[in-house]
Amino acid sequence: MTGFSPLQHEADGLSAGLPPLLVAADRLAASVSLGVHGRRRAGIGESFWQFRRYQNEDAARIDWRQSAKSQHLYVREREWEAAQTIWLWRDGGAGMDFSSHSVSKRERAELLLLALAALLIRGGERVGFLGGGERPAASRLALMRIAHALLDTKMQAHSLPPQTPIARGAGLVWLGDFLEPQALDTMRGLARAGISGHLVRIVDPAEEDFPYTGRARFESPQGRDEALFGRAESVGDSYRARFRAHGEEVVQTAMKLGWTVTSHRTDHAPLSALVALHAAIGGT
Amino acid sequence: MAGLFSQLSFGAPWVLAGLLVLPLLWWLLKVTPPQPRRIAFPPLRLLLGLKNEEQTPAHTPWWLLLLRLAAAALLISALAEPLLGRAPQVAGSGPLVLVIDNGWSAAKGWDERQGVIADLLRGAQDRPVAIVATAGNAPVSLLDAGAAVRAARELAPMPWAGDRMAAAARLARASFASPPQIFWLSDGVEDGVGRKFETALTKLGPLTIFTPRAAALGLLPPVRDGTGFQLTALRPGAKGARQTNVAAIGRNGEVLSDAPLIFKAGDARARAHIALPLEVRNQTARLEIRGEDSAGAVQLLDSGGVERRAGIVSAATSEGEQPLLSDVYYLERALAPFAEAQKGTISNLIARKVSVLFLADIGRVAGSDADKVKKFVTDGGVLVRFAGPRMTGGADELVPVPLRVGGRYLGSAMSWNAPQKLAAFPASSPFNGLVAPTEVTVTRQILAEPGAQLSERAWARLSDGTPLVTAQQMGQGWVILFHITASPAWSSLPLSGLYVDMLKRILALSAGTAAGDLAQLSSLAPISVLDGLGHSMAASAELLPIAAKDFARTEVSALHPPGLYGAQGVESALNILKAQDALLPLELGGAREYGDVHSIALEPWLLALGAGLLCLDALVALWLRGYLPALRLRSIAAAGLVLMLMPRGVHAQDTTSMQAALDTRLAYVVTGLPDVDAISRAGLTGLGYALKARTSYEPEDPIGVDVERTDLSLYPMLYWPMDPREKNLSPAAQSRIADYMRLGGTIVFDTRELTLGAVRGAGNPGDQTLRRITAGLDLPPLEPVSADHVLTKAFYILRSFPGRWDGGQLWAEALPPADKNGQSAPARGGDGVSPVIIGGNDWAAAWAVDASGRPMSDPVPGGDSQREMALRFGINLVMYALTGNYKTDQVHAPALLERLGK
Repeated sequence: MTGFSPLQHEADGLSAGLPPLLVAADRLAASVSLGVHGRRRAGIGESFWQFRRYQNEDAARIDWRQSAKSQHLYVREREWEAAQTIWLWRDGGAGMDFSSHSVSKRERAELLLLALAALLIRGGERVGFLGGGERPAASRLALMRIAHALLDTKMQAHSLPPQTPIARGAGLVWLGDFLEPQALDTMRGLARAGISGHLVRIVDPAEEDFPYTGRARFESPQGRDEALFGRAESVGDSYRARFRAHGEEVVQTAMKLGWTVTSHRTDHAPLSALVALHAAIGGT
Repeated sequence: MAGLFSQLSFGAPWVLAGLLVLPLLWWLLKVTPPQPRRIAFPPLRLLLGLKNEEQTPAHTPWWLLLLRLAAAALLISALAEPLLGRAPQVAGSGPLVLVIDNGWSAAKGWDERQGVIADLLRGAQDRPVAIVATAGNAPVSLLDAGAAVRAARELAPMPWAGDRMAAAARLARASFASPPQIFWLSDGVEDGVGRKFETALTKLGPLTIFTPRAAALGLLPPVRDGTGFQLTALRPGAKGARQTNVAAIGRNGEVLSDAPLIFKAGDARARAHIALPLEVRNQTARLEIRGEDSAGAVQLLDSGGVERRAGIVSAATSEGEQPLLSDVYYLERALAPFAEAQKGTISNLIARKVSVLFLADIGRVAGSDADKVKKFVTDGGVLVRFAGPRMTGGADELVPVPLRVGGRYLGSAMSWNAPQKLAAFPASSPFNGLVAPTEVTVTRQILAEPGAQLSERAWARLSDGTPLVTAQQMGQGWVILFHITASPAWSSLPLSGLYVDMLKRILALSAGTAAGDLAQLSSLAPISVLDGLGHSMAASAELLPIAAKDFARTEVSALHPPGLYGAQGVESALNILKAQDALLPLELGGAREYGDVHSIALEPWLLALGAGLLCLDALVALWLRGYLPALRLRSIAAAGLVLMLMPRGVHAQDTTSMQAALDTRLAYVVTGLPDVDAISRAGLTGLGYALKARTSYEPEDPIGVDVERTDLSLYPMLYWPMDPREKNLSPAAQSRIADYMRLGGTIVFDTRELTLGAVRGAGNPGDQTLRRITAGLDLPPLEPVSADHVLTKAFYILRSFPGRWDGGQLWAEALPPADKNGQSAPARGGDGVSPVIIGGNDWAAAWAVDASGRPMSDPVPGGDSQREMALRFGINLVMYALTGNYKTDQVHAPALLERLGK
């Protein structure tokens, strides 16, 4: 229990300043299940929302008690109470352990993930870690489960989300660097399955700025490939162009699928990323 | 510099040819590029296929090249065995004779002498060499170069004086093919035959003499003066002033005390006094001149001579008027070298824990004293009684043998016998080994009743066989009776040295030494001996014991090296220098000093330097490959910048301290978080306004203190808001805060619970921060502030302690429990001020005012009235920190006034 508590506390502290997060209502589909919080609009639910005039619909909906008080016919509307299911995933590949300064990409991704989960739970949404084997839930317990799943060594090595069946209409928040070649294909597959996604692209400043000079041998984190440069600064410009292009590609793909993308550099404050994410998911 | 190079010579100059390799090395290093840095890089896929525009290997940096070449050059020159300095010239071709003084006085500077010997042997090359040591007795033989070097290495200073004439005789017996060239490496000390020896050597061949610049010092036996040791040191000659130290060393080599020893110019002797209390004096095993490292600069102390506390009780009252007739005078004089003699009554001497109790002419020990003395003896004390006029009338039972009433007179007009002499001591007596001088006579004594035990209990007898000293073991202690007086009234024994020796052995008895061991002390076997450098070591089995009667006359020699002799616990020290000894300088014309001719081998230094450069090179190579992230140039530059800015920072801190010292100011802990610090500052400013308006304390602007750097002692109270972003304390800051709390400071921890989280309690971030930060601190036991705590009464009477929020618990140091019997006091306070006060109502936010004096926050739920209560609590807090438990005294004022009225 103690292994993840510092991270969880940090995440709690981070999310403390933001209002509870409700998933943007227009993304809701028929598959949503009944939840605890109202959506500030009429719909399926138990609490009273408003009386409105009867407009040529099913007569069974007329509230006769109210209609008897005046000349018009009224329909009792209830507030739409529904919770959205949000699945969370962070890239666990070896590349995420990279850090050019104090914070690695993986640490930052996990912090954001937990903070986001805390926000969603406070908003009454149901959250779960993709592939964690637990049903999504809207309690502090779910937060614990997610934190456990992050620590689980089995889940560490996977870069792409597992091929778990997800109900249509559920949301997915995917934090990672999307450098894996199959990442875009996986995205398309998920979108075809009716998932709406939010991508958070975690970027280390060194990856973006490429500050290396002199004789250097670059190795992939898995140690499979390597590239040797006599003067690393000479390839800097072409690399930066390629990196920008890769970022564009991710954004383009996501936009085509109707997904949102937030980019975050690990040398920036995590709160700014969380605020941006809050805005993207909350649809405000 | 040129002079330095002219003194440089090489032992193996051909190795220098290796320097020719350096250009080749330079070329090799230049074409081999350094290893690239290895960087793990996740977006490597994007790098693959990028055109490597410049593939030519990077050159080794010029400074690295220089470093490596310098290391190689140093190693090559080191192998060429360079020497700095002038080696002694050894000209001619005949055999070489080294006459070396290696008595104790040669120990000082022996290493330097070995260096000169090595230089001489190197100069001798293949010529045959004879080595003659004055403190040895090996016959002189000619050795080839290698054997001579080995023999010279084995040579060590000996702990006795050398015999130069014997060495000259040995040298004269040797036969040389041609007249030898002679070097005399003297120790600079005259032994009375220096001139003769020189003449004898000159007869054999050309002679060169070396003397040390500063010859050995010697230490004379110490004089005990009751407060410590009086020491006298000797030096040969009296040239110039010289200063060193003498030290008293304990049994395990620990330095107990030391004192400066100053030879004034023109003085051959220097005195010093080491003052030590008795207990420490008794632990002293040896006295030595520091830094001298020679057996002659050491004085071992007898361990049988451990000073005891001896009590003397005398019945006579005439002590002050006629000291030469009193028993006490003689006992004190005889005991002074070995014991601290005290006078007094029996009971108070026993209470002072004497180990030997002397009763001079006390016939009967009276009343309760008798029991005390009996207990003293059975517990291991030694009771020594002397006879006298009072004892002739009969004695109590605390005597070793039954006594006859009345004395025996010898040699007087009423007597038929001549004064008796002492017989030799019986073999079973602890006095065995002491010599009875023939001039000691006994004219009057008390007689023992004859009995079976008398013979075994008698430790000393007169020549006619009557016992003079009898003793009996009683419990763990001894009762010893001298059948004569302690003064010379009845015998001449107290005037002789034997009296002192006998008392010394009795004192050894009290040290726990078995009487049987003392009885075997007719010959003293060596226990430990000194080597030439003054270090103690166990005696080898080959050394012969010394007869006890000869011990005082024994001179230190190869047969009897200096050291401790005797039995364990009663060791007598044999030292090189005796009280009457003196040292004289060896004054010969044409002598050279050692320091002038010695050369320094540079090889080890160059090797070390070269190895150091290679290590540096390895570090640089690691750095170039990126394995030393800590050594980035940027951090080095930052460190340099910090160093440059440091003095200014210190100055700034001084002005802060000065501000704080000139006025009593409220202070808060700077957390480094701008928002939190701004609120703290605004809060204390607002509280300061309230204090100014309502109390006689008018604080200046508040000060923020950095607990990691600032001196905290100037602030009576520190306000410390908690925030999860705060860093943990460094160990230095922790100890500084602990000191602050211990010395009376008060820290107010504000966990700001509702500001930071939704609920109070252990899960609250403020609470967790508090626990994290104070984890290493030594907090006192805490308890909730009760309704009668002085904090509730210090200025206003308060029931709660609201801030921006209300409710919650306030904690302070636990008070001592209330007085159960007395009436309940309206206010309670401990001694002083609670070092910590912990609460979570975010007081600073409630107190905080902006620049125009308007409050900056809305207290919840009470609004303005709650702010007023928060300010009242703040005033109470400051009053409490400033005045302590003064209010608890105030509540007693009526009672005090009432008492004064009466």
